[in-house]
Amino acid sequence: MSQQAYIMPPSLAERFNQLHQYLFETIVQPVLFQVGWMNLDEVAYEGTHLLLIGAIEMIALYAVLKSLEKWCPVEIWPDRKATRVDVLYTFLGRFGVLPVLFFFLLTPIVDAGNAALRLRGFIPPNLEDILGSAAALLAYLIVLDFADYCRHRLQHKFGVWWALHALHHSQRQMTFWTDDREHLLDLVIAAVWRAAIGLAIGVPPASFVTLSIFSAAMESLAHANTRLSFGGIFERIFVSPRYHRMHHAMSAGQRGCNFATLFPVWDIAFGTANFSDEYLPTGIDDQLTGRDYGDGFFRQQWLALKRIGENAGQS
Amino acid sequence: MRYFCYGLLAALSLPSLSAKLAIVLNSGDETVSVIDTTTYKEARRFAIGKEPHHLMATPDDNFLIVANAASNDLVFLDRTTGEVKNRVKNISDPYQIAYSPDRKYFVSASLRLDRVDLYDPANFSVLKRIPLPKAPSHLAFSPDSKLVFVTLQDTHELAAIDLGSRTVAWKLSIGKQPAGILLTPDGKYLLIGILGENFVDVVDWRTRTRVKKIVTGKGAHNFVPFGDGRHAFLSNRAENTISKIDMQTLSVVDSYPAPGGPDCMDVSADRKQLWMTSRWARKVSVLDLESKKIVKQIPVGRSPHGIYLSQHAPRK
Repeated sequence: MSQQAYIMPPSLAERFNQLHQYLFETIVQPVLFQVGWMNLDEVAYEGTHLLLIGAIEMIALYAVLKSLEKWCPVEIWPDRKATRVDVLYTFLGRFGVLPVLFFFLLTPIVDAGNAALRLRGFIPPNLEDILGSAAALLAYLIVLDFADYCRHRLQHKFGVWWALHALHHSQRQMTFWTDDREHLLDLVIAAVWRAAIGLAIGVPPASFVTLSIFSAAMESLAHANTRLSFGGIFERIFVSPRYHRMHHAMSAGQRGCNFATLFPVWDIAFGTANFSDEYLPTGIDDQLTGRDYGDGFFRQQWLALKRIGENAGQS
Repeated sequence: MRYFCYGLLAALSLPSLSAKLAIVLNSGDETVSVIDTTTYKEARRFAIGKEPHHLMATPDDNFLIVANAASNDLVFLDRTTGEVKNRVKNISDPYQIAYSPDRKYFVSASLRLDRVDLYDPANFSVLKRIPLPKAPSHLAFSPDSKLVFVTLQDTHELAAIDLGSRTVAWKLSIGKQPAGILLTPDGKYLLIGILGENFVDVVDWRTRTRVKKIVTGKGAHNFVPFGDGRHAFLSNRAENTISKIDMQTLSVVDSYPAPGGPDCMDVSADRKQLWMTSRWARKVSVLDLESKKIVKQIPVGRSPHGIYLSQHAPRK
């Protein structure tokens, strides 16, 4: 079964396959041939698949999450100007497909390490052989989620990194578009981090793509401007919009709580969970005293770099 | 345990022994499709391992060996039923595999890890791992089994490995991104599909010279002999065509449509049909060689690569 066949009815999957083939054969492959990169055709075929999945994911998320936000919003704003820039970030984040891009870019380095190991007689084991495909996929998801949790803690711990990450927190009109609102440098760090760990634990490329799509969808949901809690035990198993909103609460600040991306278990284990049933305003408290984080994309990027400079100067 | 379950499920749904089968490796899905070639229907699909790309019959023709590149193993299938019979682990990144004609060596090209490995076919113990510059792809042997030739896809070379000394004997620059390689029946020339261009490079391996370019189509990729001792088919992946090459005159004698990124092929025993994997279409396409039309397309898994017909034309 192909990856998308797990989530699509057969007729839809066939149409998706036809569209994938058409795009690849009429646009991508001819370019590869012209520039002399036909040795990358299999990677490019997967890349085309990824872009297509990204586009469909965005349409699906828009349809579902936009309805959810309309149906039961936490906040109603007189206008949504502040959210527009987040749409741009989403396009960059989803179509840039940075984690997967870096996964493929870093692959040759990991392969070189693998080659050296094998020349010395060691072949790393496959998790799929030990656990089976489904359990291995879940194990990869758990490890990658824990890695994201650790990275997120570090983003809040170190002033220089927080200077970048504050851009993500500076959104006072948080919606499902806000998930990818990050400084470009932070996006790259996150992508390299995730890709390196994925490669280190031997996640197969197709599984990495699947996990990335799933994680991105769940993260978009977590940022949605909707009054939604999973309730009871489920609130402690999966990160809900309510749970993640507490992380973005203006009062939480850099110190923060609820750092988990998918599974709150990490917050519970490390004492950073907050299950209060509240929907607080989002942002950073110094915005109330006039700190400017920028409205437009370029200003936001520039101000983040300036904050790094200030932070480095103080330390 | 997982493979036991797969084996059990596979056994319960085995086609009859007399069935004519096509066995197809879905490299992107980690599965094998078993197709009944009389009904043109996929009889079953089962998990095999990560990145199965190429397969070949054992020299006694009893088994098929599937090379799982990312699982680091070889899976032996019953050639007539597709049933999993054995799994040999610790075969590092086997992409393309082959036995030397004298059967003294089992050779595996490691495309991803830039090596060719020589194994003892009796027990698959490593005899020598030979590093090569970049992306060793397809394999062929000299008739006397003294040399194994390997295309180096990313350095645009042909390498010859001396099986006696187990070292690289020589390298020769050829066209961009060389892929499939076939020794002509007279043993004189190597035909090499040049994936990054639109031709087959003809190399006189004894004099180490390129003697001719046979223009075929964009993305010249892989070969299969027609079975008459004279002709071979070549898939042109980016052109979506198949070329029929006369290996005596070193020229193209016919051309056929092949939609969806044709890759590996096999010829039916009666030599009336050419079965091929259509990588980008996720299908197996069946070409009627007389009418020159695709008569069937059978949906399989993602990125189908290797294909084998249980009743196929002679490999000559």
